[in-house]
Amino acid sequence: MNLQLLSYVLRYLERGYVKNLSLFIVLTLLTTLLAAAFFITDSMRFELQKIVDETPDIIVQKTRGGMRTTLDESLVNEMLEIPGIASAKGRIWGYYYFQKADVYFSLVGVDIYEQEHRNAIISLLQKSELEVGTMYVGEGVKRVLAENYYEDYFNFITPNLEKKRVYIAGVFTSATNLESNEMIVMQKEQLREIFGFQENEVTDIVIDVANPSELPTIALKLTQNYPNFNIVTKEDVSLSYAALFNYKNGIFLALFIIAFFTYFIIVYEKLSGLSSADKREIAILKALGWRVEDILHAKLYEALIISFGAYILGIFIAFGYVYIADAPLLKEVFLGHSGLKPEFELLLVFDMQTLFMLFIFIVPVYVLATLIPAWRIAITEVEEVMR
Amino acid sequence: MIAIKSLTKKFGNKFLFENYTESFQEGELIIIKGKSGSGKSTLLSLIAGLTKPTSGEIVVDSQQISKLPEHFCSAFRRDNIGIIFQKYNLIESLSVRENILLPLVPLGLQESLMQEQAKKVMQQFEIEHKADELVKKLSGGEQQRVAIARAHVADPKIILADEPTANLDEKLVLSFINILRKMKSQNKTIIVATHDSRFFNLDFVDRIVDFDS
Amino acid sequence: MTPEVIVQLFVNTLIALFSLIVFFISYRVSKYFHSSATTPLQYRLEKESYLATTLTKYLFAIKIPLFLFFIFSLEKLATLLPGAMCATGVVNATVYGPYLLLIKLLNLYLFAYWLVLNSVDLKDVNLPYTPMKFKLLLVFISLLLVEIVLESVMYFSVDMKSIVDCCGVVFSSSDGSYMAWLIGAPFWMQLTLFLLTFVVLFIAYVREYYHIYALFSLLFLVVALITLIGVFGTYIYELPTHHCPFCMLSIEYGHIGYLLYTLLFVGTFFGILLTLIDFEVKRKQRYRNISMLAISSYTLIVLAYPLLYFIKHGVLL
Repeated sequence: MNLQLLSYVLRYLERGYVKNLSLFIVLTLLTTLLAAAFFITDSMRFELQKIVDETPDIIVQKTRGGMRTTLDESLVNEMLEIPGIASAKGRIWGYYYFQKADVYFSLVGVDIYEQEHRNAIISLLQKSELEVGTMYVGEGVKRVLAENYYEDYFNFITPNLEKKRVYIAGVFTSATNLESNEMIVMQKEQLREIFGFQENEVTDIVIDVANPSELPTIALKLTQNYPNFNIVTKEDVSLSYAALFNYKNGIFLALFIIAFFTYFIIVYEKLSGLSSADKREIAILKALGWRVEDILHAKLYEALIISFGAYILGIFIAFGYVYIADAPLLKEVFLGHSGLKPEFELLLVFDMQTLFMLFIFIVPVYVLATLIPAWRIAITEVEEVMR
Repeated sequence: MIAIKSLTKKFGNKFLFENYTESFQEGELIIIKGKSGSGKSTLLSLIAGLTKPTSGEIVVDSQQISKLPEHFCSAFRRDNIGIIFQKYNLIESLSVRENILLPLVPLGLQESLMQEQAKKVMQQFEIEHKADELVKKLSGGEQQRVAIARAHVADPKIILADEPTANLDEKLVLSFINILRKMKSQNKTIIVATHDSRFFNLDFVDRIVDFDS
Repeated sequence: MTPEVIVQLFVNTLIALFSLIVFFISYRVSKYFHSSATTPLQYRLEKESYLATTLTKYLFAIKIPLFLFFIFSLEKLATLLPGAMCATGVVNATVYGPYLLLIKLLNLYLFAYWLVLNSVDLKDVNLPYTPMKFKLLLVFISLLLVEIVLESVMYFSVDMKSIVDCCGVVFSSSDGSYMAWLIGAPFWMQLTLFLLTFVVLFIAYVREYYHIYALFSLLFLVVALITLIGVFGTYIYELPTHHCPFCMLSIEYGHIGYLLYTLLFVGTFFGILLTLIDFEVKRKQRYRNISMLAISSYTLIVLAYPLLYFIKHGVLL
């Protein structure tokens, strides 16, 4: 690190900043865009991870004709006999289509005597008694109902076309915004009525194991015992969420790379053409005894300063855009939710690996683009200078 | 000190000079006399290692610079040869001090050492009072002194000056000749290429080489 | 196809393209270069050799963070592959994995060697190593290209759905493979082998037997890696069955893996270097010292773990 050379380069940039400014701005913009995309997905991934953490270890589902169908709750007792299983219970949950607003509500049935997984619901149950005939709704649900003039209650229509009135006892929020917004929580038996389930019918059965390392074995056992059921483990859920993310990320990245290739070529072209004042300066330096190596070093410093500066600046702007301004426009691209748009706030997630990856993408690639032009500049002949 | 053997330089099909042999001793002040296009500038380029000969060899301070790889050649020039160009070739947007220090930048020396060196040559050529002034704001004479100071900053053994007084007025020519006289007293080998007749009769010149023949 | 993988493939493509440029220049230079010639071709070649050298320096400079990044993305992939709990699982997910790792390491050594050779070459007016340098570069660049192709093939052939073995299985001593035999060898045997190698190395250092030192540096590298996985690793993890080269990089173990591997690679590199290039005395001494310092530090740290364990628990694993 030659400080003298560094200060020469800084001075050089200061003197002729206009030329490099456009390159710098574009690089910063590219960085901002890419960084924002990654920050958003990092936050979303973090949120989803929290949700996954709250999923039960094993979910047992039944399908019929390829479509999800209900199970018999009495199977729970059978399953409890398998060693290693700590608890098992039947759940009732599902979707309700509110035709007037053209949205789907997500309904969850709870029983205060049974163990709950989701923290939001746990805290809800701690705070209040969920009486029969009442329900708690998420913020998004409250809004939609209010827009359709349902202020204190809602009339569900069962499959038998009966009207069931359920009063809104309150609104809840949860640590993760993604799901709770569109959720409605009520007594399990109440929901049974609304869905028109029989007495022993449940949507699925969830199981928790005592020792997490035994999970694969127990899941295997379940698959053997109940070959006609779908056994979904927590890991499966985690993997499928992760895969979904990487897919979205991947497409974005692919598009981005195309943009970057173009940028690469532009940088290359631009830097290959030197103004005559620049040519003269390089020739003078060489005449004064600067070696090709020295000139290349100077150009390297130049490239590092520009790209590193763009990187830092781009990251800062992206931070502000994503976490302060809540990423207008770009957020929707990644959320791609149907039905209610969850108004969830992107939480600050600081991932060193993401920053490292961005660095690898921006700085070395830019420097590489400058290498050949820098070399061509450095080897220019000096003869004319003597005239 | 400088030994030239059978030097030939061709441009395209034209011979600029052919089989030229000459030698210069240490501490000599030599005037190379010749019209424009006679090849004297090119000779200086060759001695400085700025260009390579078509054939023949040049030995400067026992280094065969015509055969040196580029990075050695440039380093040699940086450490041993100071060049005063015809058009000065200063960088106008930099200050006097910055211009003078340019040859030393790649060396990565300590700041204090650099400033000391700069101060020395600035004092020597009476340009210190304008140290932080941008070169483009200087007068012709002041720029000349900056160019000369820059050539001296690395304390080189050889100074080459290419047409240093072309297009200058009488006063500046005389001031340059005075500076030349001072330079001579430092025992450096100085070669001045010029067609200005005022150089041909100076008492402190050791030799005049006539390129017109 | 995670974003990390995509970034790597992109950067790799660029590197491959530029490597080809270096390759072509190297070909020209090794064919036509004469350091004493004064033809225009020679001057042109000299200039081109600067480009090749600069690009190669850059390639090496970028290889190191990229290698780190490679390890990171393996770790991240491990969270996506069923069954894999650390990078070992990912490496073994395809048949290419282990070879890729080896060739990456090899290339790091080779390129580092080339850079040192280059700096020695440029110090001499006659550029004595230039023809050899570029012939070597032809080989090294080819290996780099092989590495890049292999890496891409590996990433594309990872099957996200098939279950992979985690490090516990891969390195278990119950397997019948050579690896298992080596790693499963008794503690005292491994420790003795390790210490013996170190002692010979130390003697060679003190007596300035450079060629023996270089040879044993290479040997030390192999022995150290085996014992690290087989013995010392288990003391880092405090679990006799945990033989994993990657887990020690993670935060649970204080990232000690990075320090250990760096010391090991740097130390053995400079050791092996001593026999490959004829340095001037001062430089030779310096490299010898760096090597011994790094290797000794590695040895001390790696021995400290079982020692501390013994002090803490009174028994060995």
